[in-house]
Amino acid sequence: MVMVRFIAIDGSEQTIDATCGMSLMENAVANGVEAIEAICGGNAYCGTCRVHVDPVWRKVTGPVTEIEEPMIEASGDSDPGVRLSCQIPVTTDLEGLVVRTPESQS
Amino acid sequence: MSTAPATGCPVHHGRDDRKSAKVAETNLTPMAGARVVSSFAAGRDILRSPKVRQAGASAEAVDLSKPEEISFFFLDGDLHRKRRAAVAGLFAPKTIVTRHRAVMDRTMDAIVADLQRRGSAPLDELSWQMAVDVAAEIVGLTESDSNASLAGRVKAVLDSSVSRRPGFFNTLLFNAKMMVRVGRFWKHDLAPAIEARRKQLRDDVISHMVKENYSKKGMIMECLSYGGAGMMTTREFIVMAAWHLFEKPALRERFLTGDETDQFAILEEILRLEPVASLLHRRAVEPVEGEHGAAMQDGEAVCVSIREANTDEAITGPCPYELDPDRARRMKVIGPYMSFGDGPHRCPGAQVALHETRVFLDRLFRLPGIRLESVPDVLWNPQIQGYELRGAVVACDPA
Ligand code: HEM
Repeated sequence: MVMVRFIAIDGSEQTIDATCGMSLMENAVANGVEAIEAICGGNAYCGTCRVHVDPVWRKVTGPVTEIEEPMIEASGDSDPGVRLSCQIPVTTDLEGLVVRTPESQS
Repeated sequence: MSTAPATGCPVHHGRDDRKSAKVAETNLTPMAGARVVSSFAAGRDILRSPKVRQAGASAEAVDLSKPEEISFFFLDGDLHRKRRAAVAGLFAPKTIVTRHRAVMDRTMDAIVADLQRRGSAPLDELSWQMAVDVAAEIVGLTESDSNASLAGRVKAVLDSSVSRRPGFFNTLLFNAKMMVRVGRFWKHDLAPAIEARRKQLRDDVISHMVKENYSKKGMIMECLSYGGAGMMTTREFIVMAAWHLFEKPALRERFLTGDETDQFAILEEILRLEPVASLLHRRAVEPVEGEHGAAMQDGEAVCVSIREANTDEAITGPCPYELDPDRARRMKVIGPYMSFGDGPHRCPGAQVALHETRVFLDRLFRLPGIRLESVPDVLWNPQIQGYELRGAVVACDPA
């Protein structure tokens, strides 16, 4: 388990115990993080599990992968830390990760 | 409404609210030699595995050496991903809200005006119009004389392809009929759309095909795939959802007073119980590792049963045959479960279909005097292995 902090657009925070081996999206949904919709269930096909990775964590989580690009582009989300959380596997390296959720997933 | 106790749920006395289960049980035919996978978890793992390929009679007969002539439905791997990526934006939630929603509203204005003028109409005719208009916008079939004629021509091609019978004479007849019908669709719908896109590209599937120099055959195949995958499925789902809402006043009330999120939860739960597509076939091209039935040997074929995966108690909780719109939220699962497939081939039109169904039913059920004059017959379409609802007639007061 690692601790991950989600910060919503209104500043409210939710810290979850995330299970390693699952994606960040799956952990968020399992812990009731409302701002993560994930309507395609983790196939990188809807762009509704977007998170903005805090600048200090971007090296660890890595850049947007090729599979994420089309839906991120279609969402119009230009935040430099944007990622699809379904494509971020949770590992022990992410202990203390901080991500922000966008105003709207659509 | 069927209120028979659900088998497998004697403790909770759960109802069996499914309307298509019986016809599916009688008619479903998995591909010969394919192992049926019923567990949701195993089905998902297989569909997500990069080591499987589309299988089933039509998929395995396709000549993959000419990818520019085949629909991406039959492709896999890198080429498939690139084709999907090229049109992904057309299906994004933002595009639905900012672009397709206007088409849905416009179509619904026309459907409502027509229904109020006629007094009554076959429901599947109305849902077909909605499904065709929306898919036509996404595909780019925008230069037809009218969308009603486009709908008729697409229906003629798809109907002739599903009424195909075995035998030499029937094959000849089928080919002749098919050629004429495809020819009409090409002449009146697709060719004018291609010509218009050659002059000015837009953001739609035909523009993409023009840019990528698809062959004539490739373009026809791709358009007809969208016709089959997007139009026929949505037509049936709208009728099915309407039927459930017509006969369940409390559910209808909840649908009409709920916010969009709740309306989607209701529709998704209906789709879980009544998936339009029932079987997904895959063949392993390498050994697939996995647990609980997900492991596959090299060359093995499986048939993922959407109906069984959608009612797998491990993921639905108790009373899997009962219509419970709060289920998915409670179980922290996506609402349609596996009704739109999973993995690389997961339906790109899932959100589009749910939106158009929501818009359609929200308007329909607010019409003064709206009623279901006759319930549909539940038929079976062996080619797409799915139900067809025919004969439902809705009526409303004149405007
Ligand atoms: C209730 C309505 C719908 C249902 C139940 C449905 C169901 C499905 C399913 C189960 C698949 C996966 C097939 C597989 O894995 O082999 C699929 C694929 C597909 N659907 Fe849908 N669909 C619906 C509406 C739509 C709409 C509205 C469109 C487009 C306008 C669409 C376009 C497609 C396409 C192009 C594919 C092939 C994707 C690929 O192979 O990558 N569908 N659909």
